[in-house]
Amino acid sequence: MSELWSRIEPLLTGIERPVRYINSEWGSSHADEPYKVALVYPDVYEIGMANQAIQILYERFNVLQGVSAERVFVPWKDMADAMRSAGVPLFTLESCRPVSECDLLGITLPYELTYQNILEALDLAGLALRSKDRTDADPIVIGGGPCAFNPEPVAPFLDAILIGDGEDAVADIVAAHRASIAAGDSRSATLAALALVPGVYVPSLYEPQIEGGEFKGMTALPGAPTVVRKRVLPDLDDYRSPACPVVPFMDVVHDRVGVEVLRGCARGCRFCQAGMVYRPVRERTPDSIVRDAISALSCTGYEEVSLTSLSTADHSGIEEVLRRLTRRLDGTGVTVSLPSLRVDAFNVQVARLLGGGKKTGLTFAPEAGTQRLRDVINKNVTEEDLLRTVNQAFSAGWRRVKLYFMIGLPTETDEDIVGIGELVSRVFLAAREVTPPAERGGMKVAVSVSTFVPKAHTPFQWEAQIPFEEVRRRQSLLRSSMQHKGIDLSWHDSQVSFLEGVLSRGGREVADVIEAAWRGGARFDAWTEEFKPSRWSLAFEAVGIDPTSIANRQRRVDEALPWDHISVGVTRAYLRIERDNALAEKTTPDCTFDGCTGCGVCGSSLVANVLAGERRG
Amino acid sequence: MAESTFRLRVKYQKAGRLRHLSHLEVVHSCGRAARRAGLPYAVTQGFSPHMKVAFGPALPVGTAGLGEYLDLWLSSYVPSGEAFEALKAASAPGLAPVQVKYVAEREPSLGAALTIAKYEVVMEGGEVLAEGLTSSFAAIIAEGVLAVDHKGKPKVFELASALPKEPDVCTIKERTTVGLAVRIGERGSLRPEALVKAALTRGALDGRIMSVTRTELLVEQDGSWRDPL
Ligand code: SF4
Repeated sequence: MSELWSRIEPLLTGIERPVRYINSEWGSSHADEPYKVALVYPDVYEIGMANQAIQILYERFNVLQGVSAERVFVPWKDMADAMRSAGVPLFTLESCRPVSECDLLGITLPYELTYQNILEALDLAGLALRSKDRTDADPIVIGGGPCAFNPEPVAPFLDAILIGDGEDAVADIVAAHRASIAAGDSRSATLAALALVPGVYVPSLYEPQIEGGEFKGMTALPGAPTVVRKRVLPDLDDYRSPACPVVPFMDVVHDRVGVEVLRGCARGCRFCQAGMVYRPVRERTPDSIVRDAISALSCTGYEEVSLTSLSTADHSGIEEVLRRLTRRLDGTGVTVSLPSLRVDAFNVQVARLLGGGKKTGLTFAPEAGTQRLRDVINKNVTEEDLLRTVNQAFSAGWRRVKLYFMIGLPTETDEDIVGIGELVSRVFLAAREVTPPAERGGMKVAVSVSTFVPKAHTPFQWEAQIPFEEVRRRQSLLRSSMQHKGIDLSWHDSQVSFLEGVLSRGGREVADVIEAAWRGGARFDAWTEEFKPSRWSLAFEAVGIDPTSIANRQRRVDEALPWDHISVGVTRAYLRIERDNALAEKTTPDCTFDGCTGCGVCGSSLVANVLAGERRG
Repeated sequence: MAESTFRLRVKYQKAGRLRHLSHLEVVHSCGRAARRAGLPYAVTQGFSPHMKVAFGPALPVGTAGLGEYLDLWLSSYVPSGEAFEALKAASAPGLAPVQVKYVAEREPSLGAALTIAKYEVVMEGGEVLAEGLTSSFAAIIAEGVLAVDHKGKPKVFELASALPKEPDVCTIKERTTVGLAVRIGERGSLRPEALVKAALTRGALDGRIMSVTRTELLVEQDGSWRDPL
């Protein structure tokens, strides 16, 4: 083992935020076990440390007998350049060990625009970028996370990819790998063994079939399952939330303890990938939430605990949890927060229970401007709900609200765009009406508008993303329909949405583009100021791929899709029915309130919704 | 503040790898250590209640401190030995308490009381550097004022006040250590690196700063300096 600290330390004086590289945080684990795991996050420290899955996996790996896991973040450009010129390889934070000396590299796939940072990490580690070029001496490189559900664009870089929940799977992966090591297996034999672990996809065992330039599906090589089914943790309470997560010294994004209160969301928004791929809904019990929050707070010393999930206010016991927690934390200055709130009156009560009078902004996501389009996307929020909530929130003293919308949704017309402007105006007037005249100056209605990106495994997976010119036209139409002063309108960069669209629905051929873009200097594209669309245009051109044929093309519903061999449990038939319902403007209820709607998850994975009590619609 | 609080003064160090922390990171981390220690910290009244704590003068990123201070108000009395042990057990070794003591509520704030800071600057270079630095310091002091660049603007220090003691220079093997004391005034204090760099430039000397450590923070009283504990 080689300790790199003495070579790293001199680099720290010339760079920004050396705290990213110094480790020593409370809660970090310094075990030195024979089997070594590097958990690599493809972005800088302060972004990666905000990721709850990293904390969960760190704990899950470190509790395994004979296993030690350490964290690795991609160094910012200044540090990466300094490391390259000093010949310092990518290192693990805890023991400053070269990443290439570990047995397993677990790389998170959090967001499409971090893909080129996977290559940055592999290159800094001194490893070959492509799985096929790595040798028996190299670690096994396995990916996993939110982007694993269409893994093809990054498949050639990874030896294996875990689809779905990691809690149970990590032990199986380590066991299979250790057995291969003990047996003296070659790399290909090791990968074949990993392909038998449920939820593990080994890309080299699948070959894309192309006929006449058209993708016809994946063929599994002998021994590999035809379809890889996602792993599902049947009950979240099988594991405690990390009892003592690592406490960064650095001010990270979301600097607080996170306790996951439920996983999955069955509201069924048709544009939402998370809502489809993380089914079924699994709630933790109020007892375990309160217990884990209190113990993590006392172990970390944090001043805030956040109750996280896709839709925390849906938890059937949320009021009980908040009451118990706020009572326990009374007088300590420690606060409770929820990451996002849904539009209904219940949430104003919930919001009141939070933070003893701290009236931070409320955020709502109506997503579309007309009821017709909200029915298409199955966003079951009515204008009445929204106006009533805003009215109650502003009556109760809130002065800021942020509304999220999308343009480019399937079937959208100009009327729907103008409808956004009209809805925002009515929200503004509803807020103003109940705000005392003296306080109206402090009122703020912020509107954030993004471009819809169709995602794999959703009812809209076949749809075309709208082209640039159309995005621009709809944006200017929206701007002209948004007339009030005091409304603050912001856009999501449409070039980013375009690239996200290509990277999220592309096939294996897109890997060449990612590599070309990285070779052209693309790093940290998820950072607004670092994103250079020209690098990507050059990369598409060099590789000879027309990105619009991926993003802006309407697919036939019987067409083979690059992610068909990955199953999230929701059937293709269900997605088609949901697509038909969308086009017919018919809504589908939430199965946690109104009974099963037949998406297929529960049957195929032998799991079910786990609710801690009765849900209120 | 409410009548019955107890003001615990904590002397702590920021050292080793953790010298790379910023002041804000130190503030947050010490607060978390106090919560982890389970001390009955007092909470401010008002809109957003938080831990009642006050810090001495900030240290820049990269500069270590061996005797830094914070005052932490407790809502009930904990014997100081017990408080020290609890804090220590809840701290990372690089950012840890050195000593604690209760001080009277009427004592001036740390910000007002701590006006002298002693530093040690370790440099690469032997006897030649040491002799050069000694004569450059003498020449700079003889001029009486020093203008240093502060965020692109010159900032002028009256050395009679800003530098209350002549720097010591000593060399062991190929390492030269400069020991100096600066006065922390209302408009800030002379940064040790700035003084050393001025001396290097004046004497056309070669020398790389390897580390800067604030060794002590002191209170001035009747012309002499004393420890704030
Ligand atoms: S199978 Fe039925 S109950 Fe299970 S998640 Fe799908 S719709 Fe809900």
